[in-house]
Amino acid sequence: MDNQNVERDIKATLKKNWKLFKQSRLGITGLTIVIFFGFLAILQPILFLTNIWDEATYHPVVGYDAEQVARTVVECPDQYPTREYQTKEDCPKVDEVNIRYLKAFNIQVEVGDIYESNVQPAPPSSRHLLGTDSLGRDIFSQIMEGSQVAFLLGLISAIIGVGISTLLGTAAAFYGGKLDTYLMRQSDLVLMLPTLPFLFIISAFAELKVWHLAIVLGTLGGLGGSVITIKSQALQVKVKPFVDSARITGGSKRRIMFSHILPNVAPLALLYMVFSVTGAIASESVLSFLGLLNIDMSWGIMIYLSQTEGFIFTGLKYWWLIVPAGLAVTLLAGGFYLVGRGLDDVFNPRLRRR
Amino acid sequence: MVESLLEVKNLSMHYDTLDGNVDAVKDISFTVKSGESFGLVGESGCGKTSVAMTLLQLQPDNSVITEGSIKLDGKELIGLSENELRKVRWDSVSIVFQGAMNAWNPVVKIGEQIREAMREHYPENSKQQNINKINELFKMVGLDESISERFPHELSGGMKQRAVIALALSCDPKLIIADEPTTALDVVIQDQILNEIKKVQDLLGLSLIYISHDIAVIAEMTDKIAVMYAGSIVEIGPTQEVFKSPKHSYTRALLDSTPSIRGEKKKLRSLDGEPPSLINKIDGCSFSPRCPTPTTQCKNQSIEMRLVKVGDDHFADQCCSGCVKNE
Amino acid sequence: MLIYTIKRFFEMVIVFFLFLVISYLLFNAIPGNAFSSLLLNPLLPPEAYQKTIEAFGLDKPLYERVQLYIINFFKGDFGYSYTYYPRTPIDLIAERLPRTLMLFSIVNVIAFYTGFLVGKILAWRRGSKSETWITIGSVFSYTVFYPWFALMMLWFFGYKMDWFPLGKFLVPEKWYDSPYTSDEIFYTLIIFVTVSSFLLFLIFIFTRNIESLQNRRNVRFLGLISLFALAATYWTNGEAALKRFYAADIAYHMILPTFTVTLVAFAGTALLTRTTMMEVLKDDYILTARAKGLSQKRIRDRHAARTALLPVVTSFIFTIITIIDGSVLTESIFSWPGMGQLILEAVVQEDIPLAMASFSFIGILALIAHFIADVSYAFLDPRIRIKSEN
Repeated sequence: MDNQNVERDIKATLKKNWKLFKQSRLGITGLTIVIFFGFLAILQPILFLTNIWDEATYHPVVGYDAEQVARTVVECPDQYPTREYQTKEDCPKVDEVNIRYLKAFNIQVEVGDIYESNVQPAPPSSRHLLGTDSLGRDIFSQIMEGSQVAFLLGLISAIIGVGISTLLGTAAAFYGGKLDTYLMRQSDLVLMLPTLPFLFIISAFAELKVWHLAIVLGTLGGLGGSVITIKSQALQVKVKPFVDSARITGGSKRRIMFSHILPNVAPLALLYMVFSVTGAIASESVLSFLGLLNIDMSWGIMIYLSQTEGFIFTGLKYWWLIVPAGLAVTLLAGGFYLVGRGLDDVFNPRLRRR
Repeated sequence: MVESLLEVKNLSMHYDTLDGNVDAVKDISFTVKSGESFGLVGESGCGKTSVAMTLLQLQPDNSVITEGSIKLDGKELIGLSENELRKVRWDSVSIVFQGAMNAWNPVVKIGEQIREAMREHYPENSKQQNINKINELFKMVGLDESISERFPHELSGGMKQRAVIALALSCDPKLIIADEPTTALDVVIQDQILNEIKKVQDLLGLSLIYISHDIAVIAEMTDKIAVMYAGSIVEIGPTQEVFKSPKHSYTRALLDSTPSIRGEKKKLRSLDGEPPSLINKIDGCSFSPRCPTPTTQCKNQSIEMRLVKVGDDHFADQCCSGCVKNE
Repeated sequence: MLIYTIKRFFEMVIVFFLFLVISYLLFNAIPGNAFSSLLLNPLLPPEAYQKTIEAFGLDKPLYERVQLYIINFFKGDFGYSYTYYPRTPIDLIAERLPRTLMLFSIVNVIAFYTGFLVGKILAWRRGSKSETWITIGSVFSYTVFYPWFALMMLWFFGYKMDWFPLGKFLVPEKWYDSPYTSDEIFYTLIIFVTVSSFLLFLIFIFTRNIESLQNRRNVRFLGLISLFALAATYWTNGEAALKRFYAADIAYHMILPTFTVTLVAFAGTALLTRTTMMEVLKDDYILTARAKGLSQKRIRDRHAARTALLPVVTSFIFTIITIIDGSVLTESIFSWPGMGQLILEAVVQEDIPLAMASFSFIGILALIAHFIADVSYAFLDPRIRIKSEN
């Protein structure tokens, strides 16, 4: 076969699939979200390199910026609720400062004055789009760093996982027998392994970096249930006439496996890959949320910090500490999931409407 | 006693699809009398099944009935609510579907699936009464009683089809619509099933609408026949009459493509070309592009497709009624 | 069916042994030999060192240690917990396990049922506005970052609205002069829930043979009413009347976690049910059912949903582990003192015997849940049931 023809074929298939994918509104939404976060992940190093952001101020981990904020001096009442404040936590408001607090530092002010001071966490401003955390670090920069971590981890673990499960699943379907039995029991075992406690144990005794976690998650995912699914798909392909004819014309087993069965299993594998990114992102966030990962910054760590520092129960008062990170995890995981759903529509004609 | 059980008048229906409207049924009229068997024949995709589905309003959601009336025992079916239709379904009219293989729910026992229909239409029956009736029906179609307690995947294709017939009879319908009931079966079983249907029909005095692409089977099964092409009936009449002297060249072509055992030896002729896509509006005679014996009339785009009388109770489409010269 | 169950059971037993060996090797592979370094733990008296060394056979070669560990597992002997000395890991697990089981099983039953119900309705109402919105909602709750969402729920319902307690499983003040320990109340609750769900199951099974649909519905309704009456009598008489107050306290603490987990966990089931149901609705037997004149509800529940249930159950088998993982998080966020918190605590404190014991027990829990789901799948799908018999 000449290469040009093959190339044209592939292009035509891609074009057709893209057309189908475009019809799925959810899929397009997902893709938009993923591209948006991808853009954020790339943007941060560019900002640093071009010196638009200087690292001393905006670095997500070691940056520091003391922002001067002008706040009204008020006196917090002893009894709650009052007309202005529902509970004790509501006073002072974000743009207010308690006079008693200032008096304690021997600062002479009156109620109603405007008092300028450094605040951390500082609310969003033009300088810090999403404000700063309690250590004066820029939240927006942290979100960007977090999306780098999420992409790195999600993609690496998905590629490892799908690589393993596709190879093993196809091999199980193709060679059958003892290999098949062994692989299926192994999948059973991995499926029964309580993943989170397992990760707890690993992360508590070994200092886990993003790379390690990606490999662990990828291997676990690759040995688990997806082997079974890919195997059943490969079994369906195996009995198709073109595989028989390849065998009759004398193709070697390995050749048939690689040139006929693998390409037909690939769409399903791709689907798995996209879905497993969702899982990987969530796992990382959970582990960092529990403080078990040895990572400098990630979305999970941002939530972990805001929880351990007690900002969660301030509700929406310090929303920029809580909402952006949580939403980022949710949106990116959701984005990958939606892309998966869109792909599902493309590869699974039975779901199409007409 | 001869009265019409089912009266279909000017029925038109189209499917609303992404590519446009598909006119599956165009202006169809026919009647079926009590105890009569009526055949509907035509190529795949000519709208036979659509007619069958429309009779019971079982057509998919994207279909629209534009006009016409379906009267069963003098009662209009079009415009009835789902709940009113439910009473008619199976109780008066039952269907033997195209793919009997898939007509059974794989996870429910056969007996339970039949009893379910009976429960709906005879709520006062006791379980034992229902079971007795099923056993009786099974005997009638040549099945063992133990089948009731089996799951569909445990039965062979022929057994499933027999069970479907028993299912169709379970609520004493007046009319059975058999939509290619033998398509997926091998020839021997096909013959048995056909005999079974015929036997049951005679025994219970039912009306039957038999839908098939196989004109030989139709000849064996029916008293009256309608030939469908591209969504419309092109010829309708008593089976004997139509077979003896077909008036429409499509009927002629269908007959020519089927071997006959008793008649004289003839060369089989196949029809060239493909049936037209129903998406495009067709002006004039829809069969004209494939007509083996075209006349000047065929090319006339302004002529309307309408049935005209060509014999005793025998009608054919006016644009082609003159095409066939019987040898 | 029985043969299938037995066969599956033996497979599970083999997998379980493998699990034990691997979990031991995992702990053994921890760098720096976790046991020896942690035996210097200042919380532990010298006789506990001796006991731990003996229990785990730390002076023996690896092969014998693994053997010893498996034997010890069945004897329930894991030495002492480092942090809770002199309590043993088994003692701690016996205390925590019922609490986890209670929350875990109730949450899962509710989440699975809601998910299935919502998915069914989604597929049935395909193309409607409500379908779009519920789908968007389901996708959100399927992918929402769970700890974050749970914290927000806790903040909103527990703190801001003050409708529910902020975590923990009881209010200590109420229990000062309690004649019962919380464990006793827990056992009472568990027995109550088990017995009533068993009765419910019996009612369902025995009314299956009533032919008339109308009568069947009436009898079931009557059965349900009498079950409620029975439950009411139970809680107002005898010892249970005294326990009622404490049981109510625990039940009250369970509402928010249950609600939160349900909101998150139902979505996966709902989305999958929707997909499978949409495939099933295209099958021919749905048309047959319609032609038979069955009611829409019956077609949906009996024919479409019943068949669509099968792949959903399969995937449920796969996701049981995820749910157990989720319950670990739930426990730590709602400070529910169960197995999940125990293992997290053990890991953070580097309490090896406790971590090993609770990890193995969570493994068993997963195994049992897996086994139950597997067998009930075979029960639901006659095709598997028959195949395994031949």
